[in-house]
Amino acid sequence: MTVIGERIPRSDGQSKVSGEAIYGVDYAEPGMIWGALLRSPVSSGRITRLDTTAAMAMPGVHAVLTAADAPDAYAGWVLRDQRLFAVDRVHFEGQPIAAVAADTLAQARAAAAAIDLEIEPLPAVVDLDHALSPDAPLVHPDWESFVPTAGPDFPRGGNLAAESISDPPGVDEAFARAHRVISDEFVAQRQYQAYIEPKSAVGIFRDGRYTIHTAHQFPYNVRDRVSQFLNVRPSAVRVVGHTIGGGFGAKLDASLEPYAALLSRAVRGLAVKLVNTRTEDLITCPSREGAITRLRSAVDAEGNIIARELEVIADNGAYSGEMPWLASIALHCARGVYRAGPTRVVARLVYTNTTPTGAFRGVNGTYLYHAVERHMDHIAAELGVDRLEYRLRHLFTDGEELLNGQVLDDAGILRQGFEAIEAAAPWAELQAEKRPYRGIGIGAAWWLTNPSAGTAVVKMHEDGTVAVVTAATDNGSGAVSMGVTQVVAERLGIPPADVHIALPDTDVAGFDGGSQGSRTTRIVGKASQIAADEVVEKLKNVAAGLLEAAAEDLEVAEGTVRVKGVPGKSMTLAEVAVTAMNTVGPIQGTGSFVTPFPDFNPGCATGLMLPSFPTPTYHVHLAEVEVDPVTGNVRVLRYLVAQEVGRVISPDGTYGQVMGAVTQGIGYALHESLRIGEDGRYRERTLESYRLPLAGDVPRVEFFPLEHPDPDGPFGAKGVGEGPVLLPAAVIANAVSDAIGKPFNQIPITPEEVLAAIQS
Amino acid sequence: MSDSQTVSVTINGHVYTADCDPRLTLADFIRHKCGLTGTHLGCEHGVCGACTIMVDGRTARACLMLAVQVDGSTITTVEGLASGNELNPLQEAFWDNHGLQCGFCTSGMLMCATELLEENPDPSAEEVREGISGNLCRCTGYDSIVKSVLAAAEKMRS
Repeated sequence: MTVIGERIPRSDGQSKVSGEAIYGVDYAEPGMIWGALLRSPVSSGRITRLDTTAAMAMPGVHAVLTAADAPDAYAGWVLRDQRLFAVDRVHFEGQPIAAVAADTLAQARAAAAAIDLEIEPLPAVVDLDHALSPDAPLVHPDWESFVPTAGPDFPRGGNLAAESISDPPGVDEAFARAHRVISDEFVAQRQYQAYIEPKSAVGIFRDGRYTIHTAHQFPYNVRDRVSQFLNVRPSAVRVVGHTIGGGFGAKLDASLEPYAALLSRAVRGLAVKLVNTRTEDLITCPSREGAITRLRSAVDAEGNIIARELEVIADNGAYSGEMPWLASIALHCARGVYRAGPTRVVARLVYTNTTPTGAFRGVNGTYLYHAVERHMDHIAAELGVDRLEYRLRHLFTDGEELLNGQVLDDAGILRQGFEAIEAAAPWAELQAEKRPYRGIGIGAAWWLTNPSAGTAVVKMHEDGTVAVVTAATDNGSGAVSMGVTQVVAERLGIPPADVHIALPDTDVAGFDGGSQGSRTTRIVGKASQIAADEVVEKLKNVAAGLLEAAAEDLEVAEGTVRVKGVPGKSMTLAEVAVTAMNTVGPIQGTGSFVTPFPDFNPGCATGLMLPSFPTPTYHVHLAEVEVDPVTGNVRVLRYLVAQEVGRVISPDGTYGQVMGAVTQGIGYALHESLRIGEDGRYRERTLESYRLPLAGDVPRVEFFPLEHPDPDGPFGAKGVGEGPVLLPAAVIANAVSDAIGKPFNQIPITPEEVLAAIQS
Repeated sequence: MSDSQTVSVTINGHVYTADCDPRLTLADFIRHKCGLTGTHLGCEHGVCGACTIMVDGRTARACLMLAVQVDGSTITTVEGLASGNELNPLQEAFWDNHGLQCGFCTSGMLMCATELLEENPDPSAEEVREGISGNLCRCTGYDSIVKSVLAAAEKMRS
């Protein structure tokens, strides 16, 4: 009996439906006091007065800290460009200037508000094109002093936070002989992750070390960032994870944690808790970056794309976070999944006086695929060729060599994806049935599974159950509460309910790359499988003597160690585990795993920080929409996903990821407007004005999983969670453009824009 | 500073009495004075619905009420849905049908669905979608929540 591919109850389900689960924001310590931050009210300015005297005299206040009280250190995931508190200058609205600890949250907030702060406003750099012009003020005049966190420096300078350029031979020649050249410009707004649990942290300074309690996707990254900000070695920081109320990439880097730690030190080790208000959370969250993408394609007389240029300018915000790493993703997505000849790719990440941007599910890919797939529709229309036919004609096939030299052995799966969609929603029928104000969009993508390292210890209890010790986090996806649980249960032949996976603790579990890039089931699943294999071997060795059989004749199955093919000759795992206590000692196994980067050509581009896409997966989406010509509202009538998944470990988890990601993509395409004013401040500041998709806004996604088990993955698993967010903006924009007969090249497509297009 | 007031309220069958600042929200009263952290705060201005509870048999957003408003009332929070350790049909259905991922919206969804099924024991899928459209979920895309509520309704009718 297998549990792989079977529905199982998630291990955290009982606590979540009963209200017992303790989220980060619920966590409390004995004697705990509260913290609050004073944040910059403007996006650019010079601090001319900062006096904490009055605040310090407020009731209940224990400490008020500013840059003068913090180590003189710079921190950052990729580039150390950020201080804990603003020093002299402020660079974005919401930037911390001071921190307060007080007996109650209300007292802490009142004291933060009582700090005497004066800021002389300075011009804000906001516009992306202008940020790169010679007359733009520098967001960081001292940019040259910033040091990369690891490895050599990368291309950057002035307001250019990072740059990746690929300029293969033959592009200009092809444009010179092109039959026609098709150009487009696409603009994408930011998107707020909008997890329902606001960020929080509890910091404790004790025994000369910092302990931090937080609900976080990547505890080891918090450890590293806190150690940088507080100028201590990483092992001086312990991060303990709690149940996460959603993250989607926004809880991958430190936020409130270093402030909680420093405040606790200032109040002689009392635990200090900080929690964001929703507005604080929204205006300081590392949202998905806004971007301008410009595409030009040279097309020959037969309609082949013989060369392409892609330029993308993406908004880094005021500090870099993870963003420079991601700039080279443009190279991997510039042609989408279609042959397009030599392609020049210029990706620029620019500093602005706005909130630092960061990872959001499907990093960079959402707007790059929007651009590429809109552009494909445009080319097909110019050529007078059917959009689907045009895509299929140029679709990647097995053995496709990409711009970075990576070879996709299995890209032919894409055609299976198109066939799965065709079987459920025949293109010709959709066209024939089309009514006014209805439109159809189709698109395809490929994507990576994050390769970062992970490790797990599987230890056998004397009652035959196991504990898995890992710093992996379940952000809600079920990757731990189902996926890894199932992998271990399967390997040991025990029920999933007998597998208990601990919450992360960096003092206890080894490094884990966090819940990002769809990696947990694959990477931690594989590490746990390896660990479980070691347990299996040890169980067999202990049982061999007891069963009077050779270890190689034994198998571990159905809660027993038994002699293969000899019914009745078996012992329970509990019996073997107890015996081991007197023979070899407690039974446990360790496993580690990391996916190597696929081969690539290092000379193909400058700034190639994410050089190739490990463990690729393939995706085809189709949307049918209806536009209300009176209100401008767009309704998604049908949404289809064909997705290569390696192997489905958990059907609920897999479908849950697809349905949830498509919903976030529909929000990105149609609802979630996060505008930045000329002053660098967000216009939308609450969940009332930042409009998330509601239950009535999304249809049930029709999902067609394509299984091609990966020999390196646990039971064949690949990443699932990110891919389905890549294409909704692309196919919905294509569908709305189809419905109205006019191009929609900006995201989101709001009712106002739809009405304007209809009326123009 | 304003004078504190004594609030006495029955929550999930237990009487809680506490002195509190008149400006204390009901949500903070429940979470901090009563220690019932199953009621979640997502936005603190009545948009997300995560803090939905029952006050005298009707759903309410605990973040939009003051503790002093409920003196003498009877309240049910998510912790009051189960009988001891036995989950009620809605809770079971959310667990069985993957009606949750991160689970942070789940308490509010459960309370909202409780009222929905009291008023309409046999809703259509569209009616459930409409019924939960005041509660935000960022993980699931809602479909599994609709499925969960329909499954619970069926079980509760039989």
